[in-house]
Amino acid sequence: MRGKTFTAFAVMILVSLLLTQCTPTAAPPAAPTQAPAVAAAPTQAPIATTAPAAQKRVLRITFSWPDRIDPAVGNDYAGSTSLANLYDTLIFPNAKGGVDPWLAESWDVSQDGLTYTFHLRQGVKFHDGSLLKASDVVYSYDRLKAIGEGFAYLVTAGVEGVKAVDDATVEFKLSNATALFLPSLVRLYVASEALIRQNTKAEGPYGTDGDFGKEWLQTHDAGTGPYMVREFPLEQYLLMDKNTDWWGEFHPNAPDEVRFIGTTEAVTIRSLMQNKELEISDQWQSFEAYQALEKLDGVKIAPLQSLSSFYYMINNKKPPTDDVHCRRAIDYAFDYDAAVGLEWPGTRQMVGPVPAALAGHDPNVFTFKRDLDKAKAELALCKYANDIANYPIKVQWVAEVPDEEKWALLFQANMAEVGLKAEITKAPWLSLVENTSKLETSPSIATIYVSSDLPEAGLMLKQRYHSSTTGTWQQVEWLQDPQLDAAIDDALATLDDQERFAKYAKIQAELVDRAVSLWIYDQVEKHAYRTCVDWPAARGETSAIMGYQEYAAHIGVDCQ
Amino acid sequence: MAEEVSTHRGSVASITPEQIKEMERASRRENLGRNWYKFSRNPLSVIGVVTVILLILLATLAPLVAPFPKHAGPFTDFAHAKLPPEWGHLFGTDQIGRDVLSRIIFGLRSSLLMGVVVLALVVPPGVLLGLLAGYFQGMWIEAVIMRITDIFLAVPPLILALAVASVLEPNLWNGMLAVSLMWWPWYTRLVYGLAVALRNEYFVSAAEVTGASTAHILFREILPNTVSPILTKMSLDVAWVIIIGSMLSFVGLGVQPPEPSLGTMIADGARYLPDQWWIAIFPALAIVVVVLGFNLLGDGVRDMFAAQET
Amino acid sequence: MSLLNFLVRRIIYSVFVLLGLSIVIFLIARVMPGDPARMAVGARAPQWVVDRLREQMHLNQPLVVQYGYWLSDAVRGDFGLSLITQRPVTTDIKEFLPASLELVFFSGLLSAVGGIGLGIVSARYKDTWIDNVVRVFSYFGIVTPSFVFAILFILLFGFTLNWLPIIGRVHEQTAVPPLVTGAITVDALLAGQFGTFFDALRHLLLPAISLAMGSIAQEARITRSSMADNLSKDYIASARALGIPERVVMGRFLLKPSLIPTVSILGLDIASTLSVAFLVELIFNWPGLARYGMNAMLHKDLNAISAVILVLGAAFVTVNIIVDIIVAQLDPRIRLSATRSA
Repeated sequence: MRGKTFTAFAVMILVSLLLTQCTPTAAPPAAPTQAPAVAAAPTQAPIATTAPAAQKRVLRITFSWPDRIDPAVGNDYAGSTSLANLYDTLIFPNAKGGVDPWLAESWDVSQDGLTYTFHLRQGVKFHDGSLLKASDVVYSYDRLKAIGEGFAYLVTAGVEGVKAVDDATVEFKLSNATALFLPSLVRLYVASEALIRQNTKAEGPYGTDGDFGKEWLQTHDAGTGPYMVREFPLEQYLLMDKNTDWWGEFHPNAPDEVRFIGTTEAVTIRSLMQNKELEISDQWQSFEAYQALEKLDGVKIAPLQSLSSFYYMINNKKPPTDDVHCRRAIDYAFDYDAAVGLEWPGTRQMVGPVPAALAGHDPNVFTFKRDLDKAKAELALCKYANDIANYPIKVQWVAEVPDEEKWALLFQANMAEVGLKAEITKAPWLSLVENTSKLETSPSIATIYVSSDLPEAGLMLKQRYHSSTTGTWQQVEWLQDPQLDAAIDDALATLDDQERFAKYAKIQAELVDRAVSLWIYDQVEKHAYRTCVDWPAARGETSAIMGYQEYAAHIGVDCQ
Repeated sequence: MAEEVSTHRGSVASITPEQIKEMERASRRENLGRNWYKFSRNPLSVIGVVTVILLILLATLAPLVAPFPKHAGPFTDFAHAKLPPEWGHLFGTDQIGRDVLSRIIFGLRSSLLMGVVVLALVVPPGVLLGLLAGYFQGMWIEAVIMRITDIFLAVPPLILALAVASVLEPNLWNGMLAVSLMWWPWYTRLVYGLAVALRNEYFVSAAEVTGASTAHILFREILPNTVSPILTKMSLDVAWVIIIGSMLSFVGLGVQPPEPSLGTMIADGARYLPDQWWIAIFPALAIVVVVLGFNLLGDGVRDMFAAQET
Repeated sequence: MSLLNFLVRRIIYSVFVLLGLSIVIFLIARVMPGDPARMAVGARAPQWVVDRLREQMHLNQPLVVQYGYWLSDAVRGDFGLSLITQRPVTTDIKEFLPASLELVFFSGLLSAVGGIGLGIVSARYKDTWIDNVVRVFSYFGIVTPSFVFAILFILLFGFTLNWLPIIGRVHEQTAVPPLVTGAITVDALLAGQFGTFFDALRHLLLPAISLAMGSIAQEARITRSSMADNLSKDYIASARALGIPERVVMGRFLLKPSLIPTVSILGLDIASTLSVAFLVELIFNWPGLARYGMNAMLHKDLNAISAVILVLGAAFVTVNIIVDIIVAQLDPRIRLSATRSA
């Protein structure tokens, strides 16, 4: 008897399994793609009256996870994009590399360039309905400084103090004049002091500030931005609703609902795109995956300009690359065209030591081209020339970016042509970070993408070639040159654009002449997107700094 | 089987030691012949043996049999990247233009090596500990050994192997070490159970009475009677070790590129699915064939010894 | 040994085993090269932030002291902060464990039903083509690693045929039931949302089958062979001779004794599913504890690693106890013992 019921049960389960497998194809109404049309009305935004039908506009984007949305913690791609959508900042980065007024309607700078006074927009409301005050800006700054994570290194450098003059005025005092201060405010996300204090746990590492609301802010927001957190199951997705009370101007077809999905799995992205369940893809797909996505109906690839470049950072302190001639030999021997050819169309070889999209980049600086004769001539001048077989060039590439193997192998083949021996190894990112922290363990070459946080050439010069970053993964060159440091600092303290850019140009020329690095290409950030999305970034109309490409308030969604 | 051996021992008085040795050898030869007969009667076992032998040959002769041996190392040929399977490249080429078949053949090396080395590292200590714990049942040695064994058995071996491998520098040898650290308790437990049963057997007591050393009792009296279960477990374990090895390299904790391994080939190739399916699917099939071969072989060995028992 | 007596002894013993395990894990986690504090706050954070975190995590103290802190916190259910999520590990585990348990339970159900079902069918039609198909299937099920199944299923059912979802636990427009147990299928039933229940089930299907394939195959094989063995026994022949209906013979006399080996292997298989889930959850982006643990290992998040292994160890030990009890109930010849290896 028991056997019979058991078999019956087994059969039942099997049948029901088969049924569940079949339903989507058999009965279209159950298919997920149809769902949005049905479950629309309640959250219908007033803005969308121009839309043909009462349909919820949804924008779905995939990201590489985790996503950290605490304004004092998040600083990677997913985090800075989320923060830009959830919070407002005093100023807003524009497509030309400059900044526009935002929460600050205007500002004054003192003669010595040490005091900035910002006049705040009135009537701006936080997502809980309370009004923005100058004290919230001060609190946001203090919180960022005390926690010290996220973009703190950028915003708090060189700031002596911040105070609220009155409810509508904030004053920043700097310890030295720097052209980087104003643009850095793009990373000061303004949060509500009252809301954070309400949600602060008394126990925590920050003394009287307890945990500074860190636990709560992980899954909630306290901003004034165009979108607000509805649901954030960590590890899965971040779901945001449109803030209809936002003071700024939405795109007429701006999405009512924005969902950041935490996956970069190729087949998943492909299925989602095909099923019209994804509007914009992440930027981490393989070349082949983009080619395939491009072939889907109504899907295009947007190669966005970015502030990130691909470097083979050459160690200037270790043999054989401590000799400038050996370095030049490498720079002449490398096949740039082949390297660029492995990337998406639109990618360009790097011109000079900083990305071309930065303000202050010198487009006329000397650029290395493959020239085997010159490479051999330079190699002959290198002091290790007679014994070069005993000085292999040790190259480490980042294990987490499997595509890098292609360039590593290309490099190896190119060097072999002029008689340089390259030993390539793959290192997990964290090991590479550790290896590059000491000269003894630093490889001859580390292959690293570095992105500029601000659209200013000076920041990149400082980040890549100044002694303050030696011993981090951002500078494996180990330049440690006091004269160069002084020149960079001097340029940064020059507030006049023309004058400052001229100083940048001089530094760029010198770095190229010394062949301190192998500059490969400026990265284009590839995203697949559906053409029913009106995406300013795809037309080059947004700032190239990280986080503003997917600024949902300015994106129009008009999809079925 | 225990009975069989003890009767040998029982007739010690009338026969010289040389004669015993000769008889033992003869019976072993006879056993071997009989076993092989039983083994070869099952076509599946024969398929297993043939597959395993072929795989071992392929792996050892890789530089000779692989169509493009150079493709197993640092090599690029972007002009011929992502070619679908065709006559010149039976399994196609990968994203860097390397022949997938050649890389699979070389990838077999690390898989097989994993199986062999892990068992070589694991069986001797595992068996020794099991013998000690079983023979000294009720004493502190047993308590210490078996409680430690229980601790390691409290978590599925894959989890601790992943944890250990993630701590160490990722490479093939550390992967082997990680798996080995988690695998010995299985042998300890197996041999312990057998030794506990055997230590009360007549022939063991007899050896004790005649003043044989502990080492003699452990290795000459008890150990020979645990060989067939150990061999059975080993032949079945090879397949599991290879699977676990491929799992480690799948998440990047095993062999490092450009050296090929089946697990990393699948993980890397998965990025090119579904269009360039051959980059991931052929290595996946290769794992299936390897594991299937060892599994059939292991089943054959088990059935052979099981038949002997009855 | 009575059942209660057994349970008490076994649980006490298990606690000591887990304590031992905690030392092993602790050692593994702490010999990790690299500064976990630096990894937590990122490459660009200033040194003082790293130092503060090191202080907070007691990383500057000797190992024994660190273990003392860790253990005294752990017994109070506090496993410290996770470096990846920057939340208490306990919070993370509470959030991710239900998704894993749901997956493992469902895959266990599939293994039991599918495996035993196939085994019975195979034994019933022994040596026919049906039997052969099941046996070939079993072989391939056993030898194919779960991550290979996962990739193949995503490709086949998710992408090519587009039958089943391959991401998430429910469709994005499906109303998520109020959180009670954390297992969406259960919560949906509690809330009476049958649509959500079926949607969650559809999402569970591919990862669960990928996980279950191996043990379905294993169970089918064992059930078949043990039924085949028993089928040739005298008592079956006498039962048939007595004219007892075939269904009763199959069900009562054959199936029950034949299931003993299946159940004990099934228990072990379900328990080890917990570990195989590490890869399957990673591939399916399943927001469960195994994926969390896998990410923790790849990112050297030591608090999370220790806690995940300990929790899984506890689950594994518990399942083993349950299996031992069930097997003992099925087979009176088996005696219960407090230690695993005795």
